[in-house]
Amino acid sequence: MAGYRQTLAALVLAVSTGTGWAASQATAKQIERGQYLARAADCAACHTAEGGTPYAGGRAIETPFGKVYGTNITPDDEYGIGNYSADDFYHVLTQGELPDGTQLYPAMPYTSYHDIAREDSDAMYAYFMSLDGVHVPSPQTDLAWPYSMRWTLNFWNWMYAPDDDAGQRRAADNQRGRYLVDTLGHCGQCHTPRGRLGALKRDRHLQGAVIAGWQAPSLEAEALAARGWDDASLREFMREGRSRQGSMYSEMYPVFHHSTRYLDEDDLKAMSRYLLGENPPAAAHVAQTTAVDDSPGRQLYLNSCAGCHGADGEGAPHVASAMTSNTALRLDSPRNLVKIIHDGIDARAFTGYERVQAMPGFGDALSDPEIAKLATYLRRRWGGQQSVVEADDVAELTGASD
Amino acid sequence: MSTTDPIVSKPLHVTVNGIEQPVEDIPEQLMMLDYLNEYRNLTGTRFGCGIGVCRACTVIVDHEDGRSEEIRTCITGAHYFEGKSIRTVEGHATRDENGDVAKLSEVQQQFLDHFSFQCSYCAPGFVNAATVLVERLQREPVPRSQLEATISDALESHLCRCTGYVRYFRAVRAAVLATPGTTVEG
Repeated sequence: MAGYRQTLAALVLAVSTGTGWAASQATAKQIERGQYLARAADCAACHTAEGGTPYAGGRAIETPFGKVYGTNITPDDEYGIGNYSADDFYHVLTQGELPDGTQLYPAMPYTSYHDIAREDSDAMYAYFMSLDGVHVPSPQTDLAWPYSMRWTLNFWNWMYAPDDDAGQRRAADNQRGRYLVDTLGHCGQCHTPRGRLGALKRDRHLQGAVIAGWQAPSLEAEALAARGWDDASLREFMREGRSRQGSMYSEMYPVFHHSTRYLDEDDLKAMSRYLLGENPPAAAHVAQTTAVDDSPGRQLYLNSCAGCHGADGEGAPHVASAMTSNTALRLDSPRNLVKIIHDGIDARAFTGYERVQAMPGFGDALSDPEIAKLATYLRRRWGGQQSVVEADDVAELTGASD
Repeated sequence: MSTTDPIVSKPLHVTVNGIEQPVEDIPEQLMMLDYLNEYRNLTGTRFGCGIGVCRACTVIVDHEDGRSEEIRTCITGAHYFEGKSIRTVEGHATRDENGDVAKLSEVQQQFLDHFSFQCSYCAPGFVNAATVLVERLQREPVPRSQLEATISDALESHLCRCTGYVRYFRAVRAAVLATPGTTVEG
């Protein structure tokens, strides 16, 4: 009876305050949905500093033109988005323009978010508005002239941004994977090559690119299959952060940490189906060389790698990735492999209680010619890649990252 | 460690604690820890986690240029040390003509004086790491005000499950300060 009276009182109050009733009713569902969508769109990867308050900004995004910082998107009136209306939020998200007319740098992936459905934008808006505002300013961007002049972006947008006629695609079921991969997940921002002025080459959609010194591999169905991916392993990789093909590292680790691990199985299936197609090509089996390979590379491997990765490249459960099925060894370019050997990988936490310790970098212990021999051995033995990695390649690839 | 390849052995030339070891054919995939424990009966170097995390297996590599460096022997193959000179925990004390310990090193003595060891499993790694640190500071002294941070930075990756960190820390600081030329004013 008391509950009934409270409900009635709330109703009377809500009706008397006009829109309050509808708004409070809407937010309960919207906030939860908005949080899920914000994760799918991986807002945190840029708008949360490492170890910082969620969405309070601060992460530096390195671009070929200079540093751009993820901003504070908590609902703080002065430093955040506290004064945004739902319309403002939708406009920023899909057009890259602030309410005051300031043009955002396209490090904000508004060219991908352009197709975000209005109801999804509203849900994300409801979620962000439900957070506590954090009263801290965003760091200033640091771009080289002429890119430091934001007005030049009007020309960039005129040339490269998707035009309004493209319209917004609704997140209908058969488009779900595309929506998650291309729009929310904005995978193409790294995995699609860019032209000289930084615009995505739309005719080479998801064909792979070099970004911040790393190879963002091709996500085309044939390329994925050639590196040993299938539907189950792709979903496992996104859900768990690791699979028999390897583990999330470098720029993909935050994507896993902030985004893909939260996606439900239906959405992971939709993404996998979108990438691999309705009839996925069979995952390639790379013949392993089982004969003794007397190359110096094998001894280097046994000396410095086999302790964790196994003499046969079998890896160690919960400790080190297997080499036998490792996707990095199957890439045409030795770039990622060489950089990992040289620089190592930080310790990481994966889904559940899975943890891996840091992989040491061997840039000091091994010379460039040694790393080249080791990389050549690994790629030949387990990757099906026969080309020889040269010491000059190592110098070039590892020098760029310093 | 299993392998589908036949086990191939080859000669290993390595100097341990100043003594050139007898040249034997050593399996090419043997880890250095097993070489020390099983071939040289130097059992002070300990197998802990086996994946390079706990650092109980740490030894010192002495480079020709005078630098000393920590290396984890549970994840590093014996043949990595071909032609190299290393020190293990057995090699720090001064010995008399009978081979008995005559005098402990400064680091070892400070660890004892500070009751740093409890179960002792991590001790070889700590002795070697602290020795490498003292030797580095002799070459590259740090301002006194940075000493505590330098010690933490140098030793924090070594695990001790008896919670002996505070006593290790104090002992290492005492060892550094007892060694001339390791710190400068500031």
